[in-house]
Amino acid sequence: MNGVAKQIYDWFDERAGLTELGHKMLNEPMPGGSRYTYVFGSILVYIFMMQLVTGILLMFYYAPTADHAYESTQYIIHNVEYGWFILSFHFWGSSVMVVMVVMHMSQVFLWGAYKKPSELVWVVGTILFTLVVAMGFTGYLLPWDQRSFWATTVGIEIADKTPLIGDFIGQFLRGGPTTGAHTINRFFVLHVMILPLSIMGLATLHIYLFRKAGPAGPYKRDHKELTKTSEYFFPRQVYKDSVAIGIVFLITCALAFYEPVELLGEATPEPGDYNPVPEWYFLFLFQLLRYETFSGEWGQIVGSIVIPVAFMVWLIAIPFIFRNPERRPWKRKFGIMTWAIILLAVAYLTYDYSITEIH
Amino acid sequence: MVNQPKIKMKVVGSDRDAGEVANVIVDPVTKFLSHIVVRTEDGGQRVVPLDQIADVSEGVRLRCSAVEVSGYPPLCRDDYTTVHEQELAGLEARLDVDPGHALLPVPEGDRDIPRRSFFTKFTIAINAVLALPLAYPVFKFLIHPMYGPFDNTWVTLARTDQFQDVDTPKSYRFRKTLKEGYLERTFDKSHWAMKASPETLEAIYQGKDVEFRDKNGDVYWVNRRNVPYVVFSGKCPHLGCGYKWRSTKKYAMAFLCPCHLSIYDIAGTVLTGPAPRPLDVLPTRVTPGGDIETVDIEFKAGLVGRVRVI
Repeated sequence: MNGVAKQIYDWFDERAGLTELGHKMLNEPMPGGSRYTYVFGSILVYIFMMQLVTGILLMFYYAPTADHAYESTQYIIHNVEYGWFILSFHFWGSSVMVVMVVMHMSQVFLWGAYKKPSELVWVVGTILFTLVVAMGFTGYLLPWDQRSFWATTVGIEIADKTPLIGDFIGQFLRGGPTTGAHTINRFFVLHVMILPLSIMGLATLHIYLFRKAGPAGPYKRDHKELTKTSEYFFPRQVYKDSVAIGIVFLITCALAFYEPVELLGEATPEPGDYNPVPEWYFLFLFQLLRYETFSGEWGQIVGSIVIPVAFMVWLIAIPFIFRNPERRPWKRKFGIMTWAIILLAVAYLTYDYSITEIH
Repeated sequence: MVNQPKIKMKVVGSDRDAGEVANVIVDPVTKFLSHIVVRTEDGGQRVVPLDQIADVSEGVRLRCSAVEVSGYPPLCRDDYTTVHEQELAGLEARLDVDPGHALLPVPEGDRDIPRRSFFTKFTIAINAVLALPLAYPVFKFLIHPMYGPFDNTWVTLARTDQFQDVDTPKSYRFRKTLKEGYLERTFDKSHWAMKASPETLEAIYQGKDVEFRDKNGDVYWVNRRNVPYVVFSGKCPHLGCGYKWRSTKKYAMAFLCPCHLSIYDIAGTVLTGPAPRPLDVLPTRVTPGGDIETVDIEFKAGLVGRVRVI
C-alpha cells in the first residue's frame, strides 16, 4: 500500500483497530506447526458459508407453502438459469457437511484434542453436530416431493415415540396430526432461521472456546520440539486449509454436476409405487428399525429413542469419561476401540440396508 | 512532566528511602497516571499523588519525606480494578505500563454493594415482568394448529360390483380436500378395501363388532362383524409408510411395508417385522346404491393400542 490507499487504511485502522484485530486472529501459535489433519474445522466454516449463500439464492424463487413449494422447486431446477446447479450444490453440500463433521469429530477424538482444557469446545461441538443433522432433516422436506413427504412423515413418527413429550414434539413439528401445509412452514422457519442462527451463535462460541483453550497440537508431548516447530495459523495453516477447501469445493461441484437433484412426484399421502427412503446418513437408523430386536412398542422405543439418545449423551460426556491426560492413540485402546466400533456399526447397518431386498 | 514511574522502582523520600512502587493508578479521564502506590518498609501500601513526585530516573524521588508518605491514605484494593477487567480504550497508546498492573478506580457510585445488588435484582424483575406475560401468548401462538377436531366425513372408496373375488385387496384412491389454516388443498390418498371370505372376516373381527369413537368418546359408527366389505387404513401401523399387497418370498401374497419390512396376512395380522399391531380396520358402510364408503381415519403408528389422530 502506498500514498492515498495507505492514508485511507490508516484512518480506518486508527479508529477500528484493523491491524491489531487481524494479527490477533491470524497470529495464533500452533504448537508443532501446521498440518493437513487440522483442516476440517475450516472446511466446515467454508461449507456453512456456501450453504448460506446457495440457500439465500434459492429463496429468491422458492415458495415455502404446500401449494407452491413443489412447483417453485421445479421452476428453480428447470427454468431458472443455473438453478439446477445452485440447488444441487446446496443439496450435496449438506452431505459433504455431514461427512466433514464426522471427520472433524474423529480427528479431534483420535488426537485426544477434547481433553482438558478443551472439554467445552467438544461439548459445544456435539451440539453443533446435532444441529447440522437437524438442518439436513428439515431441508429434506422443502422440495415437497414424495421423497420429502415420506422421510418427514416417518422421521416425525420416530420422534413421536419419545416417552411423555413425543406426542407434543410430533404435533409441534407437524403443526397438526399429519404432514401438511403447516409442516412445511415450520420446517422452513427451522431450516432458514432458527437452525442457521443457532449454528452461527454456537460456532462463534465454539471458536471462541477453542482460542481460549488453545490448539491441542500433536499428541507427542515434547515441549522443546513443539515450541521449536510452532507456527502461526497464518500463512501455512491458512494455505493448507485453502487447498483442502478447494478440493471439497471441486468434489461438491462434481456431485452437483453429475448427480443433479431430480424431484419425484409432488408430495401426497398416496405413495403409489414409491418406496420411502431417508437421506443416506439416516439409513443406518432406518435399517436398525427393521430388525426384530427393535420390533413392537418397546423395542421401537429402544431402537428409535433410547439408542440415539444414549449415543448423544455418551458423545457429550466423552471429555468427562476419558479424563486421563494421555493423548497418544495407542495408549488409549478402550476409547479408540469404542469409536471404531460405532463407526463400523453405522457402516455395517448402511451396508446391510444396501443388500437387503424388499420381498 | 516527569518520566513515568514503573512498578518495583525504588521510592526515595526527601529524608530517606520510603519503599517501592507497588502499583500505579490510572485516571480514567486523562488516561494517565494520577497516583502511585508506595509499599512502605512496614508492608503498608499508601496512595501518593503524582504531584508529590519530584523526579523519576533510576528510582522515584519524592518531594515529601518518608514519614509524610505514611500519612497518605492506605490503598483500599476493593475500590480499584485492573485495566484487564475494565475497558479503557486507547490506554496502551498513552501509557507505558503493563496493563495488568495498572489500577483503575471503581466509580464512587459503584462502590456501594447493597445498591449494586438492588439494581441487579430490579433489572431481573423488570425483565421478568416484560417476558412472562409474553410466554403464554407465544406458546398459544405456536401450538395453534396442533389440536383440531376429528373429521368424520364419509368418503366413497369403491363399489361393491368391483369385488368379483374374495380376499383380493386393492388400493383405492380418493381425493381428499383438507383445509389447513388458510390453505385448502386437494390431494390423493388411498386405503385398502376387499371383500373378505368368512374365515378372513372371522380372523379380522374375532367375533366382535368394532366401534369407532369421536374425540369426546361418543361412538359414531360400529363395523358389524358380518359385513364382508373391509377397509384397512393405508398407513402402516409401524411408522406410517404406505404398504402394498404383493407376493413375498416367505408368505406368498401378503401386505408388505417397504420401509421396515413388516408383513401382514390377509386379515392384517402381523406375520413378521417390527410392527406392534395388526393393520387398522376403518369404518365401512355400503350405501343402497352399492358404494363402499369409509371415514379417513388415521391412528398413531408404533403403539399396540389404537390412538386416533385424524
